[in-house]
Amino acid sequence: MPSRTLLSLAVAAFALTPLMAHAEPWSYTDSLGNTVTLDAVPTRIIASQDAAAGLIPLGIRPVGIYADGPLADAKALQGLDLTGIEIIGQAWGEVDIEKAAALQPDLVIAEYWPLDNAWSGGENVVNALTPLAPITGPTNGDSILALIEDYETIATSLGADLDEPSIAADKAAFAAAKAAFEAATAAKPDLTALAVWAGTDALYVAATAGAAELMDFHAWGLNLIDPEVADDRGYWETLSWENTDKYQPDLILVDNRSPATMETALAQPTWTLMKAAEAGAVTDWPAFWLRSYHAYAGELDKITAAINAADENLGD
Amino acid sequence: MPDTPAGVVRTRGAALALGLLCLAVALLLVAFFSITVGARPITLETVWTALTAFDPDSTDHRIIWDLRLPRTAIGLAVGAALGLSGAVLQGATRNPLADPSILGIHSGAAVFVVLGVAVFGITQLSAYVWLAFIGAGVAMLVVYAVASLGREGATPIKLALAGAAMTAAMQSVTNAILLTSPRTLDEIRFWQVGSLVGRDMEIFIQVAPFLAVGIVLALATGRMLDGLSMGEDVARSLGQNVGRSRAIAGLAAVILAGGATAAAGPIAFVGLTVPHVARAMTGPNYRWILPYSMLLAPILLLGADVIGRVIAPPGEVQVGIVTAFLGAPFFIALVRRRKLASL
Repeated sequence: MPSRTLLSLAVAAFALTPLMAHAEPWSYTDSLGNTVTLDAVPTRIIASQDAAAGLIPLGIRPVGIYADGPLADAKALQGLDLTGIEIIGQAWGEVDIEKAAALQPDLVIAEYWPLDNAWSGGENVVNALTPLAPITGPTNGDSILALIEDYETIATSLGADLDEPSIAADKAAFAAAKAAFEAATAAKPDLTALAVWAGTDALYVAATAGAAELMDFHAWGLNLIDPEVADDRGYWETLSWENTDKYQPDLILVDNRSPATMETALAQPTWTLMKAAEAGAVTDWPAFWLRSYHAYAGELDKITAAINAADENLGD
Repeated sequence: MPDTPAGVVRTRGAALALGLLCLAVALLLVAFFSITVGARPITLETVWTALTAFDPDSTDHRIIWDLRLPRTAIGLAVGAALGLSGAVLQGATRNPLADPSILGIHSGAAVFVVLGVAVFGITQLSAYVWLAFIGAGVAMLVVYAVASLGREGATPIKLALAGAAMTAAMQSVTNAILLTSPRTLDEIRFWQVGSLVGRDMEIFIQVAPFLAVGIVLALATGRMLDGLSMGEDVARSLGQNVGRSRAIAGLAAVILAGGATAAAGPIAFVGLTVPHVARAMTGPNYRWILPYSMLLAPILLLGADVIGRVIAPPGEVQVGIVTAFLGAPFFIALVRRRKLASL
């Protein structure tokens, strides 16, 4: 008996040796300094909504996605081909554990939100998924561009080829859009912009430091008006609709996560107390959802066009 | 003949009429504050020119006309409706805790609004009005029908129990929809708190006819409610048709509470608290309690709204939150100070 066991062990060892020589261990260190190491490059990935929006355009297709809400409302995923990908959650903090387990994931990729001290989906989702596979991913910080570059790093390690024509074309389109944006802001050094979310009860003015894309716009030359007082987490200042003219920007950026925001703004009688609103110098603000060069280029082009059309002395 | 009972009654009547006059003056005063005080400081002079010589190019003038006047009008109408419906419900059910939220009217209105938003994608506030109306009516009908089952008919206790059950059931439906549809939550979160902001004159014009009918109907129920307050048997022996009285009072309450909820969302405590204050002032006579409630409630509601506008500049606090803050301790004080004036 012992000899047979020994023999089978030996056979197994020989059989495995070539496989193990091929399988390269994979590791990734996130911004918190935690390193995830796996025996082989993971192929079965569960991604959060935002991570999927970052990875799919780079050629990495997850096997499962958990979304923060109904998939139709996930602005970041619009236009992406999701065929064959299992949707394992469509509400914040919820994920179907059975579906997730059936996918036999190697890795969970999400985003870390330092202000909230949490991974995408929140504690419940992380607790449900981490017994199945380790979780890692980029940190949502002060630049969408840096976030996309983090996705490039992780996608490359997962086997993505960034030289692939469509990916390279998206990146080139983004570079052109960014150059045009910088040229537009440079041509109008006095132009000021205000990023807002319009509620029926009040107008919410965004603090630049609370949104990564606003930090990018600022870095690329756009003068964003920062609210005097932001809320406790540093995202918004709330203005009564009676006080909409507290700030007079030359250009208004309206949160476009839901089309209702623009409708709400336009429906307010005091919306046009802002001269920019009166003059129609209003465009979309891609708030909190950009994750790919393709989407970013498209949104930048819209803002660039609005900057070019705006009057930089309007709000003075 | 100074000290005859008739003379006493006459003096008391005169005092109550005078009180009513004082309340009317107070109401005018609050309405005046509602137009002149806001998140944005506007001088009295500007308010006056805005009202007498409107200049569409003036920011301040537009704020007066587009924001503060509709808000004041809706506050007056909604307040009167909430106060009256609370008083009528408390009288008709002989339940001191009866108010639109306890009898399922708020939750019925809410569930219809939520369904309309989630299923039919309705986003206009003007459409909410109808949904809330229908919801309030259906909820009240169901509550009344359930309470009527059994031998004694719709007794006050059964009405309150059926209302509580209805509220629980409707709220779970509302929550189920909201949990699975964040978009709907976004749409109605604002409506759910109860507020006078963001409603234009159109909303007021839509609900005003209903509220007018409801107010007339409610004020006319005074004598019936006085009869009911003596107990069903006494009311019957006085020749009153108890079932019909309750139905008329219920109809008035649904029209008023449904209209108020439709226009401003569910506002807590006004309908509950105000009739008790009115009763403390007038005594148990519903022919006085009703008009007192109708004037006291808008004073409370508009007063709370004005407070909400100035306590958190440059933003505002919604009136539903302020009334809950003001109403709850006030109500506790009222209950602790003395036994609730009997119904």
